[in-house]
Amino acid sequence: MNGYLVLETGEVYKGIFRGGQNRAGEVVFNTSHSGYEEMATDPSYYNQILLTTAPMQGNYGESNNVWESKNIWIQGFICLEMQNSPRDNSWLQKLTSHNVPILTDLDTRSIVLRLREAGTVWGAIVSATDERQAKEIANLLINEKKTEDKDWAFKVSSQEAYELDGPISNGVKVAVLDFGSKKNILHELQLRCEKVKVFPLRSNAEEIKSWQPHGIMLSNGPGDPKDVAQAPDTIKALLGWKPIFGICMGHQILSLVLGADTYRLKFGHRGSNHPIKDKILNKIYMTSQNHSYAVDPKTIPDDVEVTHINLNDGTIAGIRNKNLKCMSVQFHPESHPGPHDAVGLFDEFLRQLQ
Amino acid sequence: MSVNKNLKKVVIFGSGPIVIGQACEFDYSGTQACKALMKEGLEVILINSNPATIMTDPEIATRVYVEPLKKPFVKKILEKERPDAVIPTLGGQTALNLALDLYESGILEALNIELLGAKPDVIRRAEDRAEFCKVLDSVGAKYPKSIMIKTFEQGLKAGESLGFPLILRPNYTLGGGGGGIAYSLEEYKIKLAAGLHESPTSEVLVEESILGWKEFELEVMRDKAGTFVVICSIENIDPCGVHTGDSITVAPQQTLTDVQYQAMRDEAQKIINAVGVETGGANIQFAVNPENGERVVIEMNPRVSRSSALASKATGFPIAKIAALLAVGYTLDQIQNDITKSTPACFEPALDYVVTKVPRFAFEKFSGVKDSLTTQMKSVGEAMGIGRTFKESLQKALISLEKTDIPLPYIQWTEEQLTMPNSQRLRYIAQALRDGLSIEELYEKTKVTPWFLEQINDIITFEKECKEIGFSQIDLLKAKRLGFSDATIASWFDDVDEKQVRHHRWQNNIHPRYYQVDTCAAEFSAETPYYYSTYWSQPIDLKSPKKTVVLLGSGPNRIGQGIEFDYSCVRSVQQFQREGYKVVMVNSNPETVSTDYDTSDLLFFEPLNRECVLEILKVTQPEGFVAQLGGQTPINLVPSLIDEGFQLIGSSKESIDLAEDRGQFINICKELNFKIPNSGLAIDLAQAKKIALEVGYPIICRPSYVLGGRRMEIVENEEELSSYFYRHGSYITQENPCLMDQFLDKALEVDVDLVRGKDWSLIGGIIEHIERAGVHSGDSMGVLPPQRLKKEVITAIEKLSVQLADKMNIFGFLNLQLAIRNDEIYMLEANPRSSRSVPFIAKATRIPLVDLGVQGMLQKGKNELSYPLNDWKDMSYVCVKGVVFPFKKFQEADSILGPEMKSTGESMGRGKDYSEALLKAFISSEHSMPYDGEVFISLRDKDKDDFKDVASELINMGYSLSATQGTAKYLIEQGMPCLVVKKVTEGRPHCVDRIRSGKVAMVINTTSGKTSVDASFSIRRSCIDYSIPCITEGDAARSFVMAIKRHFSRDFDTYSL
Repeated sequence: MNGYLVLETGEVYKGIFRGGQNRAGEVVFNTSHSGYEEMATDPSYYNQILLTTAPMQGNYGESNNVWESKNIWIQGFICLEMQNSPRDNSWLQKLTSHNVPILTDLDTRSIVLRLREAGTVWGAIVSATDERQAKEIANLLINEKKTEDKDWAFKVSSQEAYELDGPISNGVKVAVLDFGSKKNILHELQLRCEKVKVFPLRSNAEEIKSWQPHGIMLSNGPGDPKDVAQAPDTIKALLGWKPIFGICMGHQILSLVLGADTYRLKFGHRGSNHPIKDKILNKIYMTSQNHSYAVDPKTIPDDVEVTHINLNDGTIAGIRNKNLKCMSVQFHPESHPGPHDAVGLFDEFLRQLQ
Repeated sequence: MSVNKNLKKVVIFGSGPIVIGQACEFDYSGTQACKALMKEGLEVILINSNPATIMTDPEIATRVYVEPLKKPFVKKILEKERPDAVIPTLGGQTALNLALDLYESGILEALNIELLGAKPDVIRRAEDRAEFCKVLDSVGAKYPKSIMIKTFEQGLKAGESLGFPLILRPNYTLGGGGGGIAYSLEEYKIKLAAGLHESPTSEVLVEESILGWKEFELEVMRDKAGTFVVICSIENIDPCGVHTGDSITVAPQQTLTDVQYQAMRDEAQKIINAVGVETGGANIQFAVNPENGERVVIEMNPRVSRSSALASKATGFPIAKIAALLAVGYTLDQIQNDITKSTPACFEPALDYVVTKVPRFAFEKFSGVKDSLTTQMKSVGEAMGIGRTFKESLQKALISLEKTDIPLPYIQWTEEQLTMPNSQRLRYIAQALRDGLSIEELYEKTKVTPWFLEQINDIITFEKECKEIGFSQIDLLKAKRLGFSDATIASWFDDVDEKQVRHHRWQNNIHPRYYQVDTCAAEFSAETPYYYSTYWSQPIDLKSPKKTVVLLGSGPNRIGQGIEFDYSCVRSVQQFQREGYKVVMVNSNPETVSTDYDTSDLLFFEPLNRECVLEILKVTQPEGFVAQLGGQTPINLVPSLIDEGFQLIGSSKESIDLAEDRGQFINICKELNFKIPNSGLAIDLAQAKKIALEVGYPIICRPSYVLGGRRMEIVENEEELSSYFYRHGSYITQENPCLMDQFLDKALEVDVDLVRGKDWSLIGGIIEHIERAGVHSGDSMGVLPPQRLKKEVITAIEKLSVQLADKMNIFGFLNLQLAIRNDEIYMLEANPRSSRSVPFIAKATRIPLVDLGVQGMLQKGKNELSYPLNDWKDMSYVCVKGVVFPFKKFQEADSILGPEMKSTGESMGRGKDYSEALLKAFISSEHSMPYDGEVFISLRDKDKDDFKDVASELINMGYSLSATQGTAKYLIEQGMPCLVVKKVTEGRPHCVDRIRSGKVAMVINTTSGKTSVDASFSIRRSCIDYSIPCITEGDAARSFVMAIKRHFSRDFDTYSL
């Protein structure tokens, strides 16, 4: 079946529609070679169509064990070639059964070049008989999608608070403010704690304080940090009370609360090969990244220290305020997918809680 | 600047002659490293005994020593140069072993020289299995159970406790030399004995088998600050049991989950840290059990390697260059990514394409050798294919082997051919799929991961559909995207040929387009012009306003066509650039310097076949293409490229035909009154017998379409002629008659290389072969300047050569092979191109032969030349070409030399006189030089008189002689004491028992004729097995004795170029 990726700026890319329903989303690309399931189930991909630059996808089938949440969040999956053998556990079938549209057999690199030059845009994957029809369907879907409320993190955040028990008896307790946390952030904390409690995004500071955590984790999540309601107030009220560690969206929100500004990157950072210079662990390592926004270096307040730099483009990748006992990183020390090199940051955070 | 201020002068070791397991990848890495360090302002001293390399060009380093990579010679150089440091990680196992040797003998310490990149304890921890296993234990990595044994008895016990099959890995050998798999006790005993002998430390690791497991390799780098990156992951299609150099491999890995991959990455990082690699590149091989995901470590190399060259070409990340910079003190974040020019080198490349590497084998060169793959490497070269999908890259890689344009042809298969690894297995798998075997059945038989089988099945399924619907209905774009060549598509239909497919495709505007290898999957813009073709891309404009030439490379290494041609290609680039051209390079061999992204102005990593080259010519629109530099590969493409309207640069197609067409060549020789050997054509034995009388015995017989000397034999009499026809008669027909040339017995042979332009010619040199006529020029040793030819003969050769070049209207290179008997010159063969001997001559004479060849090709006049036309005879050194053979890797191979080329590499010995040069050439070719002991001699009758003085020389030098009846009788008659030893047929203990028992230090064995050659096979084979020098030709023996004598005197020095 003819499938099309239509961008809101008018470009149309023709491929084969392999399953799922027509959908719209922000079109983004990720350069990780493996980990398609981890990516698709990462809530930070909410409302996004994921294009993998690695051309061959679905090679190793699928397994629920590696899901980073309970849902597939992506609005579409684009790759050059999808494994299509009749296996019991194929990624193609999995995506299809979740109604995620899949577009294959097209020159994905030319789309990446377009996104690189002109920036991230909205788009839709649709099945259609011709380009004209594709554009009509796609524009409707895109316009509809754009009217949706912008607080995406709220959409993916847990609606109820819940607790996880860790193996450390008499260990610490960490509260997680859930912007759409990946499972592995919780897992890495859990391994090091007695208890981890996940709080819905619009929880207030009192609710969190009353649980008496030793530290607070601000998780990853989708969308523009400036569109997130309530959480900045909550965090402001918690600043200085207990150590705070933010990841990705958590980092951006913390930076906003500390007085810095954020801006939208042209096409974001998504991949498993981003080099980071880390002043806290004093080394350079490879990280997993997935973000559209970054903290503006010109707006960093005097009492905030830049601790991590992305060596590819020099953007800020981590900050710290020692007095207020908070730190945050733009990348994903919990990996999944990607290298484990930065996992020591969890230990660093936990040290502050002792 | 972070480069260590105390570091001013460094020495880099090359890897010596090309052998199986160590090829031009080390020329690539060494050249890259030299260039990078020179740019840093360091003084770089390069040592390599291989003259065919780019790295030994005088411009590459501050000083170049073409000297043996052996302690006594290197010591002299180090004493002379007094460098601050040595970088031993760029010249393969040879360089590492040499460094360890220098360290252990205290030379480095005495001269206060630091080892950079790998310290001795690091080398030992990585290379010594027991030490390595300790490292693995310390980081919790698993490895196959194994026992290190030092004696045969220990080995037997170990075998009993581990159970069969077993893998044997001798310590400190390259390319898995002496190792292998033993399925039974019988087999185990044989391999155990050989392995113990092969290991320099007499240690063999006997290992539990992981046959059938998935095999992976990570190419990693680390800097002094501890930053660690994986440059490339590689997955072998062939499961464990086949040496990774012989496996078809894919990059990046395709079948690991992210969880599995990251666990492997973590383990690699722990291992490289625990081994203690401070800076540089390393590779680590893993095996994964397909049943349960269990992972074990196979081995690690703390240096750049064949696979790091592959990884560099596959990703665009220049591992060797970066390794060199790290070694002198940089960290990864301080080095720029050359390709993007905007991001640092500390990152992990992301690929939006797939790379497949396929090995090229030479089993057909060694009669009696079985096509079977084990843990001992046997391939002689490799090709790489880049495509957007695995299918596209696999088919491109297979085409790049240049064996056929139909990569997966229809063939017969047997059960054994599927289950036992061999060089053609992928083709058998494809056929089995055609024949209806299921993926499950094939997985059971081959243990090839189902994902790969499914991919091949996709190819086969599409092929099936196409054949049913007919040519006009085919979805041609889809076919091309699956990687099918025009030739393959044509082969599906009786009434369609390749040209029709091509033109039909062109009419429908279906062309491959070109994408950049950019290290980053298009995330950043890339500046480097390194391209591959795909049918999954958009058109881009690659035309240049500048006049352009397209240079056709030489493809995968093979016996007869290797690094020498890459030298000519690379060397020519700069001259073309100086002449104002933009240079486009085309090649498919990932080991080479020519496929380095900064060698040419535009690099296409593409198969060197008609189809792909035509597309490149179409898209680049050059002034012309160059076919003289890449060996026979580009010459063969000339007619079809001209046919499509492209211009050939240099000698015209007509000139090429004059040389290539035997009949035309004989005619011009006759016109010029040159002597040529008598010859005739015969279609059957009866006619052959008649012609033999006219030509006169001995005669060289070969089928007329012969390539590389196949089925070429010298017959001495009618009986042997009958035998020849009995054995090879089926290859001789009316259309392909038997060529019968007079064999110029005992003639001297010479190679002449010359270049010619508009109004000038220059002889580059005349290499006199050391062996007499009958040994392929690639296999014979040679000396420059000639030692036995008379001055007036040399002058006559020069005159004839230039006359012939004029007559043929050569522009550029011409290589001639001549024979000289009784001062008469016979013209044997002409090659209208740069030859294997060009780099040797250029290094020996210091004439920039390639540069002048380029100016010749461009038909420059004498007054326009960039260099003076020096006389090659003004040489201050004698240079001897040594030759290296792969017999050891092929258990059933015979080491006797003949008209079929078998060598893989060459060395150069440079000396103040002939014997010094000989000594170095022999030593560099891995001949051991026995100081004393017994010399076993077995000669054919006609050699005996010639050999008399050599034998008495041996006695004078203190050797004792032994021989079989006939030879012994002769020697004793001549008054020389000689022990009589039984022939193999005369009962035991016989001469082979004597050799195998270690009583013989050296063997001289000349023989000819099928029966005698067969009878003496075991003599030569035992020498190979036990690494005993075995000389099979009279003049070679004479020169070997001369070299030994020089060795006795210990009178030798080293000289920079």
